[in-house]
Amino acid sequence: MITSELLKNRAGFEEKLRKLIGRPILLIELDIFALPCGCTGITTNMRGLEVDDLEVFEPQMLALVKEMAVNLDVKPSVIFARIVPGSSIVASLNWRVLCSRCYPDFARGEGKTPRPDLYMLQFERRK
Amino acid sequence: MKLFVPSPGHINSLKELLTEKDKIYSIFMAGSPDYIGTGRSNLASPQLEDIAAQTEYAHKRGVKMEMVLNSSCMGGRQLTPEGFRINHWYIEQLANMGVDSIVVADPYLVETIARDFDDVMVVVSVLAFVDSPQKAEMFVDLGADSIVIDSNVNRHFDVLHAIRDSVDCELKLLVNEGCLYRCPFRYAHFNFFSHAFGPEPRPNVLDDYYYFKCLELRIDDPQQIIKSPWIRPEDLKLYRDITDVYKIGGRTHFVDWILNCVNAYYGESYDGNLMDLLDCPKELKDLFYIPNKSLDGVLAKQWMNCKKVCIKCGYCKAFTKKVTQVYSGGGTELAALTSLDTFTEKS
Repeated sequence: MITSELLKNRAGFEEKLRKLIGRPILLIELDIFALPCGCTGITTNMRGLEVDDLEVFEPQMLALVKEMAVNLDVKPSVIFARIVPGSSIVASLNWRVLCSRCYPDFARGEGKTPRPDLYMLQFERRK
Repeated sequence: MKLFVPSPGHINSLKELLTEKDKIYSIFMAGSPDYIGTGRSNLASPQLEDIAAQTEYAHKRGVKMEMVLNSSCMGGRQLTPEGFRINHWYIEQLANMGVDSIVVADPYLVETIARDFDDVMVVVSVLAFVDSPQKAEMFVDLGADSIVIDSNVNRHFDVLHAIRDSVDCELKLLVNEGCLYRCPFRYAHFNFFSHAFGPEPRPNVLDDYYYFKCLELRIDDPQQIIKSPWIRPEDLKLYRDITDVYKIGGRTHFVDWILNCVNAYYGESYDGNLMDLLDCPKELKDLFYIPNKSLDGVLAKQWMNCKKVCIKCGYCKAFTKKVTQVYSGGGTELAALTSLDTFTEKS
């Protein structure tokens, strides 16, 4: 992955979110990550995005989120927002290709918020 | 003009900062969080020998050294015999190494330092929230030599003049704090910082709610940036009859950023993005562009007599729309500035 692709995708995703939501949301950092457990994925640290936005625009936002995953050649098994518990704040959006050790953590949870700091946008259950 | 300039806290930063020593009256920095913390985040935790070396380095170049011990909450530890002993010992070490002034927020520490350490100036921190003549007088009675006035009243000239008329001590204005005007998170946030950057046990916090919320409020409603009580370099002249002592915030920034502020305030002019000068929230400088020069004359014309009843006025809201632009496409060939008008209003 070349850095110019990351820049292009950061800017493009931010712009589309802004148009969707109508506020100058700031995508403060776009990261591609690999964890020691074997998980990999994308994280976008957000400023100005709120839980209300996720609830109201979830279908449209999910389409944008999936588009960026394709652009960066990441096939996420889970897509979620990390929220500051008890608040309206969305701290980040996360695309994660789960390893076999972390999969059960997500598979066991149910509903949109299996943990106080998580808001699930998509989860692919294994067969 | 006396300019108090932040240092991130290590000797290399100090050396770089003092390349502009002729513009700097005093450096200020935090000490070790193991004794008395500070009400803001820190990059370094210089130990006593580091502080001594930096104090000597500054003094040799004709610049004073100020230590910031302005924790807004010490959990009552300062009132225990053990807490008093440790704090007193630490302050004594700072005094013995020739630190010129110590900034504290706790009134008890103001009185203690004033009583026991004749050679050190006691400075009342902006985090003591001195916003009235009454409070200023009380701190002077406790022994304060200098007061950093609560930045919330930076544009309340009646209050500033009343404080000036009431006390003889030095008054300082924090010029570039970008905090929300009358911020509802102010006390909670500084108390949080005081514990996070104070002695153990320190809270293990993943996300700083107050910081995120502060940013969210401005992104939702950018007029909050304009309403923040910062003072532009060009407007210092309007404060001359109150004080000529100014403090630049920003000890978690790069030295280059700090020196840009030093040059702007020393030269009383800045031709660029106002957001470049604001200490916090620094992430928003990559979102908003507000030409500093577009604010020429606004303080004198509008804010010096502002009644702060925004719902009846709307000046800041209209002004924000007129001058604020939004960055988009950063780092790509589509990078551009767009008008704030292209976004809908939430509030």
